Amino acid sequence: MVFAMLAIGVSAQGVRDSVELEQVVVTASHSPKALKDAPVVTRLITLHDIKMADATNIQDLLTQEIPGLEFGFAMGQETSLNMSGFGGNAVLFLIDGERMAGETLNNMDYTRMNMDNVGRIEIVKGASSALYGSNAVGGVVNIISRENIEPWTANVNSRYSDFGHEWRHGATFSFNTKKWNSQTSFQHTRIEPVDLPKPHSAMEIALERMKQAQGLPYDSSVFIDDSNLSRLFGQKTYNVKERLTWRATDHLTLTGRGSYFFRTSERDTYDYHFNGYSAGVKGKYAWNYDRRLEVSYAYDQYDKANFTPDGKRTHDHDYSNRQHVVHALYSQAFGKNSLIVGADYMHDYLSTYQFIDNANHTQNNIDGFVQFDWNITDRLNVVGSMRYDYFSASKQKAYTERFALVYKLPWATLRANYASGFRAPTLKEMYMHFDMGNMGYMILGNPNLKPEKSNNYNIAIERTKRINNGGLLDGRYNFTLVGYCNRFDKRITTIDGGLYNGMESAVYWNEDGITVWGLDASMCHVWDCGLSLKLNYAWMHETGHIIDSQFDQPRTHSMTWHLGYGHRFSCHYALDASLSARHQGKPQSGRKDVDQGYTIWKLMLQHHIWRGISLNTAVDNLLDYKPKTYYYSSPLTTGRSVSIGLSVDLDRML
Amino acid sequence: MKIRKFMAMMVAAIAITVGMSSCGSDDDDQEAAVAAQVAGAFNGHEVLTVSAGGSTSDFTRDTAYVFTKATDTTLDLTIPAMDDMGHMSIPALSVKGISLTTDGKTINGTLDSYAGTALTADSVEKAFTVTDLVVVFSDKAAVVTYTLKYGNMPFPFAGQFTGVKE
Repeated sequence: MVFAMLAIGVSAQGVRDSVELEQVVVTASHSPKALKDAPVVTRLITLHDIKMADATNIQDLLTQEIPGLEFGFAMGQETSLNMSGFGGNAVLFLIDGERMAGETLNNMDYTRMNMDNVGRIEIVKGASSALYGSNAVGGVVNIISRENIEPWTANVNSRYSDFGHEWRHGATFSFNTKKWNSQTSFQHTRIEPVDLPKPHSAMEIALERMKQAQGLPYDSSVFIDDSNLSRLFGQKTYNVKERLTWRATDHLTLTGRGSYFFRTSERDTYDYHFNGYSAGVKGKYAWNYDRRLEVSYAYDQYDKANFTPDGKRTHDHDYSNRQHVVHALYSQAFGKNSLIVGADYMHDYLSTYQFIDNANHTQNNIDGFVQFDWNITDRLNVVGSMRYDYFSASKQKAYTERFALVYKLPWATLRANYASGFRAPTLKEMYMHFDMGNMGYMILGNPNLKPEKSNNYNIAIERTKRINNGGLLDGRYNFTLVGYCNRFDKRITTIDGGLYNGMESAVYWNEDGITVWGLDASMCHVWDCGLSLKLNYAWMHETGHIIDSQFDQPRTHSMTWHLGYGHRFSCHYALDASLSARHQGKPQSGRKDVDQGYTIWKLMLQHHIWRGISLNTAVDNLLDYKPKTYYYSSPLTTGRSVSIGLSVDLDRML
Repeated sequence: MKIRKFMAMMVAAIAITVGMSSCGSDDDDQEAAVAAQVAGAFNGHEVLTVSAGGSTSDFTRDTAYVFTKATDTTLDLTIPAMDDMGHMSIPALSVKGISLTTDGKTINGTLDSYAGTALTADSVEKAFTVTDLVVVFSDKAAVVTYTLKYGNMPFPFAGQFTGVKE
């Protein structure tokens, strides 16, 4: 296939520059910077990457793009993230810089983060609390919306996958005038329950049980099944978003946004309903290029409730988390240097069935931060950030800082970075009083918890070069190597709480920490002929007080690779093709009773046909990998699956 | 300590299998009405297994499963109330529509999925599902296997019953 592609030859539409070093990113410094100048290595997933992955939500996309990142299941089939040894509550997810409310077993509801109308995703591994506060312990994932500049755009799309007979329908609309810019998107997904294969059928097992009962010879091996999962629940999602921007004057821009999210998970007994409501306003005032002020207010609410199959709310599993955030950011440039000063106020409200009598608790968080970006010479840049946070419920405070150094050699860029991170105890961890499943096992909160702390040290070398000597390698390449050490302490987890009112119990507690050592290597080459190759490798090793969980099994070695090609054959037809794979090695724990590693390949073909019509076809799990047993950390596949989708850009058609 | 110990306090019961009866017939007329051949109460031993947090806990007891004829080829099953499960109890569960077929000397019943509700002792309605239910009748014996999800329990039970007809 590779040689066939090479034979096709010429550079074409569909081949995008994956070495996006001129692309502006914001996450690593709270201000726009070219990727090549970012003070901390930032992993960028471009719009082209998103389109090529044809992912429905952030979970699908990150799994394909980031080595060392894996999604599995926690209890109750809630999705659980592991990123280089850090769980979902240690990685901060932002949408356009705003955090989201709600959690399901320490993880965000990742289905809220659909990929419709997303322009790019920036990932900063390591601590970033000096910029973003609590939860930025192991990394930050910032999902940034697309900003169309065309007078208007409209797209409708639909996709079917035979895995779970999944349907996805989406529509986006935007318009742009001198004063106004509007982005509207809608997405609906539907996936049927998936029965996971078992080594032996229920009938085979029952027949052997009968032989056993009758005293006949029987095969006891059919009784052995280590699976944690037998069926993936079906679910439906609806996601509607609107963002309206008004350029009031040359200096003032006002943005309003709102979104609604609904998900129903069709469980064995009850249907779980999840609702998300989000709204916000933001004003940006620029006196000039060097002096800016940004003020915003954001509201986010995430609710959960159980319903009987006939639609009656049970009220025994009601949950509501509401957050109000006021944010202010002032930036002032002094020549090549800049100063950023900011502050936030957050009011956090949580009402949940896991509190006594469905009570509610609130807390306020205030913070202030300052960052100075000092370009000492054209080659040497130092960025220092400091932040103070205070949490009213726990009366805890946290000081965090980051110092980043960038030095540009003629042939490479060197980076060194120290950052501290923290995660404040959540209201759930402080006040939980929950009899799990009414089974007489209590989980108890602890109001005296201290914030989790992390200290991250990393060094990186990056080289980017253009080759233009008329040879086979003509194009552009980028190579990045990052080594890091993340010391994570006062980790909040549950420990044995002894007997509580005659029941066994677990209590939230600050435990000793771990140290995560790691190495991330990435290489990308984009040939002028339209071919591209990306390789990403991650190695990690944990030491210290490792909590061995069957839900998360960090892998020592993991890789992703991607071979792409784009070619415009005529004015009416272009092709984007990609062959990608992800490999997860054996678990670092050495446990043999969980998934022992796997490689999953995906082939994607996007046919761009006449005026904005795209036909997307994909074969996922190309080599038909099937887990022998479905553990919580197993890849959720039953073998090869195919999908086909159609996307129509109405503006281009009309 | 984590979830793995969450069931540690649950009690276990000892079981014996008692009772005998006859079922099945060579008669062609009765062959058509297999439900009537196997309906009845079976005394035996039940094991409910729950796996969580990497550990497995078994709840065992002697009990009686009662099959009642619904149609000529379908049965209903009553799983008796479970009261000796530490702080948890499960009321009697009625599972309907087990389809029967004959296979040589055995009569086999299957039910892919059944969703129902049951009232607890304090009159709270709880939803439950039984999936992958299989019952094998052979001579006077019956073996039942199934997966039970009850209420908001985060983990399902793997149920297994072996008994003989009264």
